[in-house]
Amino acid sequence: MMRTIEVLVVIIIITGAFIATSYFAVLPWPRQVSPVNLRRLSLTTLELLDSNYDLSKAAFEIDNSTMWDQLEVALSASLPPNLLYNLTVYEVGSGESAGELYRTLASISSAEDLGSTSDASSYLTASSNVTFNVTPEKIGEHAGGGTLYVLNCSDANGWWITGYTAQSLAEDLYNLLSPYFVKTVMVQDTNQLMQLLDGNKISGSSEENVQNAVIINTFGECVPMPQAYYQGNSRANEGYDATAAYPYTRYCYTLGQKIRVHNWTWASIVGYPFYYVSNTAVFQNEQNSYGIYGMRMTSQGGVRAFLQGLDNQTYRYDSSGVTSDVGVVTLTTETLDACNYYGIYPSSYQTSTRALSTSILSAYHLSVGLDVFNQNGNYLPGAVYEHVFSGSSDTTGSILALGLTRTPDIRLTGLSLLAYYQPRLYRSEYTAYGTSRLVVLQLGLVGGS
Amino acid sequence: MVSSTIDHMAAITVFLAAILIFTGLFNDTIQTAVTYQLHKTLSTKASDILDTMLLTPGIPINWGQTDASPAGFGLQDPEFTQYQISPFSLMRLNYAAGSPVFYYKTGSYYSNITIGGKNFLLLSNSSVLDYPTALKLLGINNTYGFQLSMNPIVTVKVTEDSVQNANPLRLSVEAYGTGFPLANAYVTYCLVIVALNGGERGSPAFSTIYGTEFTDNQGSVTLEFDEVDRADLCYSFVAYAHLGGLVGVGYLERVSAQNQYVIPFIDNLSEGRVLIAHSYDVKYFGPPVAEVKYNATFVFLADDHTLREMPLNQSVGHVNYGDGFPYGVVNIPTNNPGILIITYKKSATEGGIVMMPWGISSLSFPVVFGGDASKQDWVATDMRQVTVGGIAYQANLALWSLEGYQVNG
Repeated sequence: MMRTIEVLVVIIIITGAFIATSYFAVLPWPRQVSPVNLRRLSLTTLELLDSNYDLSKAAFEIDNSTMWDQLEVALSASLPPNLLYNLTVYEVGSGESAGELYRTLASISSAEDLGSTSDASSYLTASSNVTFNVTPEKIGEHAGGGTLYVLNCSDANGWWITGYTAQSLAEDLYNLLSPYFVKTVMVQDTNQLMQLLDGNKISGSSEENVQNAVIINTFGECVPMPQAYYQGNSRANEGYDATAAYPYTRYCYTLGQKIRVHNWTWASIVGYPFYYVSNTAVFQNEQNSYGIYGMRMTSQGGVRAFLQGLDNQTYRYDSSGVTSDVGVVTLTTETLDACNYYGIYPSSYQTSTRALSTSILSAYHLSVGLDVFNQNGNYLPGAVYEHVFSGSSDTTGSILALGLTRTPDIRLTGLSLLAYYQPRLYRSEYTAYGTSRLVVLQLGLVGGS
Repeated sequence: MVSSTIDHMAAITVFLAAILIFTGLFNDTIQTAVTYQLHKTLSTKASDILDTMLLTPGIPINWGQTDASPAGFGLQDPEFTQYQISPFSLMRLNYAAGSPVFYYKTGSYYSNITIGGKNFLLLSNSSVLDYPTALKLLGINNTYGFQLSMNPIVTVKVTEDSVQNANPLRLSVEAYGTGFPLANAYVTYCLVIVALNGGERGSPAFSTIYGTEFTDNQGSVTLEFDEVDRADLCYSFVAYAHLGGLVGVGYLERVSAQNQYVIPFIDNLSEGRVLIAHSYDVKYFGPPVAEVKYNATFVFLADDHTLREMPLNQSVGHVNYGDGFPYGVVNIPTNNPGILIITYKKSATEGGIVMMPWGISSLSFPVVFGGDASKQDWVATDMRQVTVGGIAYQANLALWSLEGYQVNG
C-alpha cells in the first residue's frame, strides 16, 4: 500500500510540473508570433513620403499648415487602416552646449495611445536650402581644351534668328553652358574673332585654351567675318574669290581650315550653315539680297567650301546643294536621355528644312559623333560630325549642324553639345548644424495593447 | 507477502499508466514550443527575404531590361538606392493571377496582365522569370514557398459624368489611398482623342491634350473637355495624382469597336519590340472579320511630373486575322517607363484605343508572383512601402515553410 501511495505522490508532483509548464509554454496568438515588422514599415513609409522631398520640406516649414495638412493626408492614405501613427519632428542640437540634443518641434498623431505593440523608425531630413549641390564636370578639363567661345560680335548681323539678336542668344547660351566649361569667352567683335582664328587667346585668362575649343555661332545662317578678309584688304586672298558667283565663299573655306588646325567644334544653331557672311563695317552698303545690309550671301557653296577646308582639300568653288526639307523630325533616344540627365526639355518634335545629306560623310571624311535627331532617309536633320582623316583615329575638327527651320531654340544647341561631350554631374550633400531635422514615425496596431 | 506483491504490481501499473499519459501531455507542450519557434523563425525569414528582394537589383543589375536569365534575384532599381523598385524587373515576373495567352503567329505563350477591357501587358514566356527559378535564385528551393504581391497605394478612379455621352465630356477623377482621400492632390493628365479619319495611309489620327489640376477636399476633381463633343468619339485618359511623395495613376478609355481591335505583345524586351496583333488571332468572335488600322505613340512621365510624348518610328500600320496577314511591329526606343498608346480603326465609324504600360508602374498594374498562399497551414507576412518608377506601391510578402517542424532559422 505504501508503494501505491508513493506513486500517487509522484503523479501529483508530475501533474504539478505539467500544469506549471503548460502555464508558461502557451503558444502566443498570431500577432505576437508573426508580427508585421513595424520598424521597417515605418522606415519605408518615411522614405516614401520623402521620395519627392515633401517630408523634408514639411520638416523645415513646421508653421506651414497647408504643407502639414498634406503630409497628414499622405501619411493617412499610405498606411493600412489598422495602423495608428505618431510622427514627430525634432530639431537636432549641436550637442556642444548643455541643452537638449533633440528638441520637439511638431507632431501629428492619429491616436492618443499607440498601445504596447508599437515600433518606430527615425529618418534624418535635410534642408533644401543648403544640402544639395550639383557640380558639373568640365568639358575638356582632362583632355586639354575646355574653352567655350560664344560669338557675340557687335559688328555683325544675324539671319534666321528671327525675334532674337545674336547678342541675346549669346547671353542665354553663356548662362546655359558656362558651368560645363573651364572657361567661357564671349567673342565681342570680329577683331577678336580674327585673333582667335590666328590661334591667339583673347581674354588674357590662363584658363583659356584655344586648342580643342567649342565655338558657337549665334548668328544663325550667317557667320561674322573680320574686315581683313574683305576684298582688297590684307587677307582678301583667304576670304575673297573674284571668280565665284558668291565671292566670300572663300572665307568659309578658311574657317574650315582653322577648325581643323585648332581641332575646334563649330556649332551652327539653325538653318543652312555658312549661307551668309557679315560685317557691318565693310558691308555697310551691301545687302544679302533680302534687304539686310552688312551681309553678303555665300549661298549653298558656303558649307561646301567649309567642308573642303575642314578636309584639307584644294579650294574649288562648288555651289551644288547639300540639304533637303524633311519636315517634322524627332529627337533620338540618346538626346532624350540627355534631356532628363541635364534637365533641359525642348520639344521632341522639330521641323527640319535644312537637313544635311549623308553624302558629305564620305566626300569629306566625316563620321557622325552624335545623332541629335533621327535620320530621315539620306538626310541628317541634326548631328555632330567629326572629321577624321583616312588611316587616322584622331578627330581634327567637328561641326554641330542643326538644320532646323527658324526660329532657333538654343536649348537644342546646349543639349546637343552636352549629349555629345557627356559631362557628368556630381551631386553632393552637406550636413551642418541647423540643416538636419530628425523625423520619428511610430506605428502601432489597432488593439495591440 | 501477497499484499506486498499486490502493492508493487498496483504501484507499477499506476506508475506506467501515469508515465504514458504524461509523456503524451508533455509532447503536446513540446510541440507547442517547437511550433512557436517555427513561426517566429518564419516571420524573421519573411522580413529577411522581402528585404533581400527589394534592396538588391539582382545579377546582372539590369536584368529587368533584357531577355537574359538572371543569375541573382532582386527587384531594386539599379539606378537608385533604398526601396525603389525597377518597373521592368517586376514586368518580367510571371503574373500568377493571369492565364497565359497563346499567339499562334509566333507560336509562343505570353504572360498575361490585363486590366479592364483594353489595357494589356503581355510578355513573351521566353522573357518571363518563373516562380521555381526565383526560388532557386533566392536559395530557398524546397525549403520555403512565397507569394509576392505589389499593389499601388493610391487609387485614381476615373469615371465619365453620370450623364452618359455628355457634351462636352466631363470626367471625374477621384484619388484616394488606403481608405483615405487624397485631398488637394496635384493632378497631371493626358487626354488622347482619336480621329478615325485623317492619319497616314488610312490609319486613325490622334491629338493630345495635357493639363494639370488640383483635387478638392474629398480628393476629387471634375475635368471638362470641349474637344470631345460626340458620343462616338474615342479617347483615352491618363491621370497622375501627386501628394506628399505619394503618386498614383488612373485611366479610362472609350472605344466604339469592341471586338475587333489590336493587342500588343512584348516580343523582345532588350530591343523594346512590340508586336501588334489583330484581336481575332487571340480570340475569335465570329464573322465578319475586318482589317484594323492602327497608329501608335508613347507617353512618359517626365521628372517635372508632366506627361510627354515620345514619337515612334513606323508607328502606323494595319493588321488582319488569319494566315497571310503579318502582325505589325513597333519599337519602343527608351528604357524609361511610359505608356504605349495605340489608336485603332475598324471602319470609318468604329475604332478605339488600347494602352500598354512599358514598365509595370506606368498604369499602376498590380503584380502577384509566386505560389498559392491560401493552401498553406501557416503563412508569415510582411510589408514595405516602396516606389516603382515613381509610383507608390505596397509590397507584401507571404512566406511559408515546406519542411514542417524541421526548419531552423
